[in-house]
Order: sequence, then C-alpha cells, then structure tokens
Amino acid sequence: MIATAATSGIRPGRFVLRVAAWLPAAFLVWYLAGPVLAWPVGMLSTAVARTAFSDLVQGVEQQGHVLVFVSTLKPTLATTTEGMARGVLSIDVNVLLYSFGWPMLAALILAARQPHPLRTMLVGYAVLVPFVTWGVVAEFLKHLVFDTGPVVASQAGFGAVQREAIAYAYQFGVLILPTVAPAVFWVLTHRRFLETFAGRGPGAGAPRQ
Amino acid sequence: MVRFFLGFLVLQALLFGFELTPWAQHWFVVPWTGALATLSADLVQWFDPGVLATGNVLQSARNGFAVSIEAGCNGVEATIVLVAAMLAFPAPWQRKLVGLAVGIVAVQGLNVIRVISLFYLGQWNFDVFEFAHRYVWQALIMLDVLIVWLLWVRTLPRTTPRLAAA
Repeated sequence: MIATAATSGIRPGRFVLRVAAWLPAAFLVWYLAGPVLAWPVGMLSTAVARTAFSDLVQGVEQQGHVLVFVSTLKPTLATTTEGMARGVLSIDVNVLLYSFGWPMLAALILAARQPHPLRTMLVGYAVLVPFVTWGVVAEFLKHLVFDTGPVVASQAGFGAVQREAIAYAYQFGVLILPTVAPAVFWVLTHRRFLETFAGRGPGAGAPRQ
Repeated sequence: MVRFFLGFLVLQALLFGFELTPWAQHWFVVPWTGALATLSADLVQWFDPGVLATGNVLQSARNGFAVSIEAGCNGVEATIVLVAAMLAFPAPWQRKLVGLAVGIVAVQGLNVIRVISLFYLGQWNFDVFEFAHRYVWQALIMLDVLIVWLLWVRTLPRTTPRLAAA
C-alpha cells in the first residue's frame, strides 16, 4: 500500500483534535445504537454460557443494552419457603460498560483518514465482540460467586482457584480489555499511518498537515 | 510487530496481576489512591475551599457530595498499559526511562483532571456524571496513553526498528 497524501506528514496536534472532534458523535451513535450493537454480544454470551456454564445458566435475554442471565441457581436453600425455592436468580449486565471502546476506535479510525474507514470500523466492531463478551460473562460469574451470598455461591460449586480466576478475569475484563483491545486493533490496522506519524514512514519528509 | 505485541500483552497481564495482589494493593495502590485524592483536594481548594479529602474520598463540605476513587479511577491500570507498551517496544533504555517518567506524569495529570471534573459533574447532574465516569473518561484516559506512546515513538532515534518490524 502506498501512503496517501493525507498521511504524508502528520501533525500530532491536528490528529488529536480530529479524534476529539469525532469522539462526541461516535459516543452518541454508540449509545443510541446500544441495543443493536449489543445483539451479537448477547448471541455470543448465550453460546458461551450454554457451552461452558450450561449447568449454571438457563438462558440469556436481551433488554435494550442490558443482558439478563437467567441462572439455574435458587436465591435460597430449597428447604426454605416453597415460593422462594421455586424462583431462580437472574443477573443483569450492562453491555455498555464493556463496549465503550467502540466509539473510541471509531474516532481513531475516522481521525486517521485512511482508506476504507467504514470497512475498518465494521471489522473492528466484529473483532471486539469477543472481548466485550469476555467482560459480560466475567461480570455474570463475578456476581454469582462474590455478590450473591454463600447460599447461591455454594450452589455454583466453584473452588478457590476458580474463584480467583473469575476475579482476575472480571478485573481484566472491566479495567483493561474495553480500552486496550480497540487500541491494539487500531495500531495493528494503521501501521503505515503510525510510521508516518512517528516520522519513519515513506511520507515522513513531506509537508505536515 | 508481533514480538512487540506479544511482549506488551504478557507484560501488561503480569503487571496487572501483580497490581491485584494484596501486597501491591497495600503498599502501592491504596497509598497512591489516597495521594491522588489529597492532590485533587489540594488543587480544588485553590478555587473551592470547602473540599476535603479523607483517604480515597473527595468530599464537598458545602453539599456533602463525595466521590470515592476506586480501581479504574486511580490511573494505575492506564499507567500499567503505558509501562508495558514502552518496555515492550525496542528502544534504548535511557529513552524508555525518560518516556516512562514523562508519560506517567502525563497520564496521571489527565487523571487528576478526570477526578476533579467528575467531582463537579456529579454535583451538577448525576446522569451526566455516570455517563462520563463509566464511559467517556475511561476512553479519554486510554486515548491519552495511546497518544503519549505515539509521541514517545516519534521521539526515538531512527536507528530503532520501524513499527512494522518492531
């Protein structure tokens, strides 16, 4: 690929301003389209839950940008009041908490002014779906193990090592993945732009925009 | 590039795992978070004397509104990402150390602005506070890390490997 005129010599300040300019629009679209964007995450979460945690999850329902994990676990011991024992525990997870990297990625892609931004955004969206799902499923498990009390947690049957793994997966999924995954995707798909940005690419000596 | 990314991902996962240990929490994360709250309160007191910091909590004495600085809001994770990216990238050690010193100040500086802005946003409108806190500032801090890293790469001598080959 040959560097386009738009990337030959890039002023960091202008690039940052373009990112800042695209960010509000990207966040608005992301928020308004939240339920649609969350749909593949719901599908993948359902597949993961049915494959890996079929004994814990009856199903996953989508309500807007919230996924409701309907578990098989009872909120209290089966020997207590009949009505209570019949109910099952459901846990809500807000997909937006794990997908705010999408508008960040969109702003970066649009600010870089590289060819085929729409295609790159669509690929980026698809690539990030598993990472968003990671956070969603990890939050469900975290609630199940740490926030529901010993009666429910004991029904889940996780050992000490598994609880530690869930804690790490949740923390990694909420604090690192939502922003690092889109940043890594952007760097990987904009190497030529970055070469020029860093003053090493083919257009490094050209007038800066 | 593959080597850089593998190094970055491994370093980041290790540093993040270390951050979660009780030892790191006790000796580094908790004191750091308290210092961040104190620094934010000191800065705010220049123009708003009725602000107090207790531990990791920043509170307005005027209306009682308070924000608690928790994991994800103390800039530690963003700093970990920056440290991993700079250490994994092939560059002279001297450049790495200078980049880390300047970069950490840049990331933490923006994080102080995040804490202070959220403190006032929360007093103005809680819905806006929630949106900014949960989504917008998280993205802005990572953009800060990315831009700091890009600017650092830009300052490296041209004898270091190209991004495509790193």
